[in-house]
Amino acid sequence: MKSREQFIQDLAPKKFTKAEKIWLGLLIIVIFAGFLAYVDQVRSGLKVTNLNDYALWGIYISNFVFFIATSFVGAATVAILRLTKNAWRTPLVRIAEIISLAAIIMAGVTIIIDLGRPDRALYTIIYARFQSPITWDVIIIPTYLVAIFFLLYFPLLPDLAILKEFYNKSNPRLSKWYGKLSLNWKGSTVQKALQQKSIKIIAVLVLPLGLILQTIDAWLFSSTYRIGWNSTNFGPYFISGAFVAGVGTLVVTIYMVRKVKGLEDYITDYHFDKLGKFLALACLIYLYFNANEYLMPAYASTVNEEVHLDTLFTGHYSTIFWFVTIGGLVVPVILLMFKKGRKPLAMFWIGILVVLASWWKRYIIVTPTLLHPYLPIQGVPESWRDYFPSLHEWLITGSNLATALLILTLLVRYLPVVAIQRTIDESELENNGQIGES
Amino acid sequence: MKKFNITYFISFVIIISLNFVLGSSNLFAQTKKAKARINVDYVKVMDGEHYLNIKASARINKKTVVVSDIELSILQEFNDEEIEIGTTSTDASGMGKFIINNFEDLQPDSLGVYDLIVSFAGNELFKKSSKDVSFRNADINVEWIVKDSINYVNAKLIDTQMDSAIAEMPLVVQVERLFRPLVIGEDSYETDENGEIEVAIDDDIPGIDGNLDLEVVLSESDDYGSIIAKLAAPIGTVIVEESTFDQRTMWSPRGKTPIFLLALTYSFVFIVWGIFIYLFFNLIRINKS
Repeated sequence: MKSREQFIQDLAPKKFTKAEKIWLGLLIIVIFAGFLAYVDQVRSGLKVTNLNDYALWGIYISNFVFFIATSFVGAATVAILRLTKNAWRTPLVRIAEIISLAAIIMAGVTIIIDLGRPDRALYTIIYARFQSPITWDVIIIPTYLVAIFFLLYFPLLPDLAILKEFYNKSNPRLSKWYGKLSLNWKGSTVQKALQQKSIKIIAVLVLPLGLILQTIDAWLFSSTYRIGWNSTNFGPYFISGAFVAGVGTLVVTIYMVRKVKGLEDYITDYHFDKLGKFLALACLIYLYFNANEYLMPAYASTVNEEVHLDTLFTGHYSTIFWFVTIGGLVVPVILLMFKKGRKPLAMFWIGILVVLASWWKRYIIVTPTLLHPYLPIQGVPESWRDYFPSLHEWLITGSNLATALLILTLLVRYLPVVAIQRTIDESELENNGQIGES
Repeated sequence: MKKFNITYFISFVIIISLNFVLGSSNLFAQTKKAKARINVDYVKVMDGEHYLNIKASARINKKTVVVSDIELSILQEFNDEEIEIGTTSTDASGMGKFIINNFEDLQPDSLGVYDLIVSFAGNELFKKSSKDVSFRNADINVEWIVKDSINYVNAKLIDTQMDSAIAEMPLVVQVERLFRPLVIGEDSYETDENGEIEVAIDDDIPGIDGNLDLEVVLSESDDYGSIIAKLAAPIGTVIVEESTFDQRTMWSPRGKTPIFLLALTYSFVFIVWGIFIYLFFNLIRINKS
């Protein structure tokens, strides 16, 4: 059994290694390139993109939907695993919360990037029209951001107090910051009662908020009368898709954090095995909703639906569609059925596949539909019949993803990614023959 | 994604190659000047404007294309003299309109025929060309009459120069509508020896406040051009407008948001953010305890 000091030593944040510094440098370069492209976009307008009157939502909205989906992992893992009292969640939930926070911040940033006039972003609040799903989105995104912040912060308090003591001599400046952020945490009965009560409230609250966020995101599309969007299936379809994207991102992040931070004793094969089953379940549910989303319109085969589905099944977007469906859902489910498929390294590659497919999935939800309006495309430039992002769009997209990874990297650097106090408590309870479920 | 990129690359190469070949032939074609074809129609609206509808096109590479943004001169031919009465230009769709502001100043020839010429001086892309249009001045006098509780439109076509009725000319009776007119009865009615037509109007045609904007039209006549006479008559069925303009609906402006939606949204915001405030105070209490 490890001592308290050993746990703290193992789980306390560590300085960046050389490899991490290189990683950080690469992220900053990508962010800077995207920043320059964005400055040019603001100066010149959206003409630097390949967006047009038909493909008016392009890669930026795909990114937005992807970030919204990924942010669901906090609500999904923390709330669901907590409410179902799954003890194996302990080493995973903080990373899930950090991913959620980074993703929801970037979702908010991305939607502003999509605006031709970002200086008018405030108009969405000043002139809010409550009938519009866009206004609902403007309300739910900051709400979910605050909820995720509380979800991350309350359980952190005891760990921040521990880190204050831990860095007291070796790094007084850092210790001072941890001390301020720990809010004078002493572990008193009153403090613990307040903390536990707050965690319970936020854990119950974050799940409906996560569901509302995903549903509103889906309604942005389904309330628009367009082929492939105007579907009653879209709410659950987006929620299940978010489940896949979020858990996939969690698997990849956990593998990297475990490897870089040397947390093999805390995040074990057992956790990957559980997470693998969780991911397989998410993929199966999403496959079911995909079948609903595509097979029923294919069966009905109205003229417009047929044109749209032909583009996806055999046409211009078929490579991406089948990669997303087979590579991003069917193959992971098959691999995850085997125990070897749920080993850390295998899970990492499956996670990469799932995340890549999740991003492209958002791309083919957004773009092909826009290129098949109910009113025919007539008398407009031929180039409007197709859409592929411009260099500016790719640079800004790369920058968005890099910024999310930068936030993730910095939070992982300064926060304990595995809850220290809870791990110590659980270890003690385990030795006493009990398993903590709080 | 590798396959996807290769597909794009191959498409790119093909498109570039095709563009090179096809693009060069277009350039060659543009070195020859094409002839601009001009079509002109004279239109007279009773108690309104007299104008010329002009359309310019050309045949390039065996295709008819519109000729846009060209300057056109409008001339009157009288006693072998051509007097310029104004200019106009074609728009992006090759269409132009010239309003004859002072029709009374135009001089007909001894037979009462007006001769106008639309002339294009040519430019670096198109050769010079012109088109003449000749017409006589005519009027359509239109009135609404009631016989045996049935509404009729009576129209009389008169040659103003000769002050005589024009027989055997097709007149169309129609009601103005937003996109295209609604033709009443037959496609057209031929004028009798008195130059008249009389057409019954059904009483079930909807109109705002029951008013119908009727039109009697002589369309593209060789001798008289087009003449349109308008008549407003309260003989239609009143449209009951089911407007939701003043109601709170999902499609109203933000000032008329449905109450349930306001209540739902504000309740959500107040409850959730109320909990957040409570949690924030819990943080303060933790800090102080």
